[in-house]
Amino acid sequence: MTADADKKKAEAKEARRAAARQSQKEATRQRVLAAARELFDTRGYQGATIRDIARHAGVAVGSVFTTFASKGEILSEVMQSRLDRLYGELYRVMPHLRGSTADRLRTMFAIHFNFEAQHVRLFLSHIAAAYDWTLPASAKPYGRTPGLQEIIRGVLAKGVEDGDVRKDVDLQEVVDLLMAAYAWTYRLVVTKGLDAKGCTDVMDRQIGLVCEGFAPR
Amino acid sequence: MKHISPNQVAAESPVRAPTRRALAKQQTRVKVLAAARKLFSEEGYEGATIRDIAAAAGMSTGAVFANFTDKSDLFREIMTADCETLLDAMREAAGRGRGVEDALLKVFMAGYTFYKSRLPLARAAFGVSWTSESGPTLRALAPIQAMQDLFVEQLNLAVERGELRQEAEAKLRGQMLFEAYLSNYAQAIFEGWSLDALQARAKDQIRILLAGARRG
Repeated sequence: MTADADKKKAEAKEARRAAARQSQKEATRQRVLAAARELFDTRGYQGATIRDIARHAGVAVGSVFTTFASKGEILSEVMQSRLDRLYGELYRVMPHLRGSTADRLRTMFAIHFNFEAQHVRLFLSHIAAAYDWTLPASAKPYGRTPGLQEIIRGVLAKGVEDGDVRKDVDLQEVVDLLMAAYAWTYRLVVTKGLDAKGCTDVMDRQIGLVCEGFAPR
Repeated sequence: MKHISPNQVAAESPVRAPTRRALAKQQTRVKVLAAARKLFSEEGYEGATIRDIAAAAGMSTGAVFANFTDKSDLFREIMTADCETLLDAMREAAGRGRGVEDALLKVFMAGYTFYKSRLPLARAAFGVSWTSESGPTLRALAPIQAMQDLFVEQLNLAVERGELRQEAEAKLRGQMLFEAYLSNYAQAIFEGWSLDALQARAKDQIRILLAGARRG
């Protein structure tokens, strides 16, 4: 055999190894995410340490850290996959929504509260993670996920078309106001013990106030 | 160890200047708080440990614990002091306002101006405020509660002056204004918005949130 063929063989072997390492890394990643999802639900975000997550996933603590920069990043990934499902549902519902812009916004947020009602503490941690020091720039905590904001902006844009949202209104400003109101409503779950229905009622009133602000004069 | 209640000490020495020991204790507290403020600003709340804070203050962790119960106690103390100062600035700003929108805008801006030089600390505070464990305690701090009330008060005053309708839903509207005020910090922290940009944003938000309460 020539030296060239030997070299090629060695390269192919190295490539197979790299692929194996890659798929092993992906398998670890999936196991960590599954374990984290379970522990965040049962113990809450603060209550689940990286060590707990590693043990539950059956992997070494070190390999959690080689896969994720921080617990905040794990949370961000867990939330992302949950929310992707929610947004998928919302995009399906959107074209069928009827009524005024206020009504359509109310429906959208009601769907959110129903979806998150069982995981409110986790959702609060998701908001808190936005301010996490150790979070890498690639992570998508609350406020940096385009999904929800795009959906709200879509509802408002339709309102402009239908003529119940003024044309001169900066839609992003309205989106941000609604996002602030939405986040605050989650606090009431912790401080006042509100359920999904209670959250929806409070949010409905807030949406009403914001809508008065962009209604045609 | 013999414990002497502060009242007892006061009764025995009614007008005497603070003892050397009390002064030393006071100095220790000041040093620890300065170190804690620095570390919370650099490392965030989770990242700053009592050990690091003690080391930065040049003392033992024991000495820190002799003065503060735990890290959250330290953080609360810093936030209370800052927010009391800010609350005074906000009240003063509200007093200078011409009309309710202007008064509210000045209150917003008093906050953004105050925190401009300490955004990392604001970032740490927002992180804490959104945890379900410590968040409610932080938000319930007297000066923070008073800030929130200040927004509602401004609306009530405007109702009295006849600027806003009687049924202005001042409580909910004030709350929403306060949350809008807080939410803009994310733009300041993560996107480096200037005071001018924050002011333009705040002005629009106030107009939108008050539109339905205007008379006529």
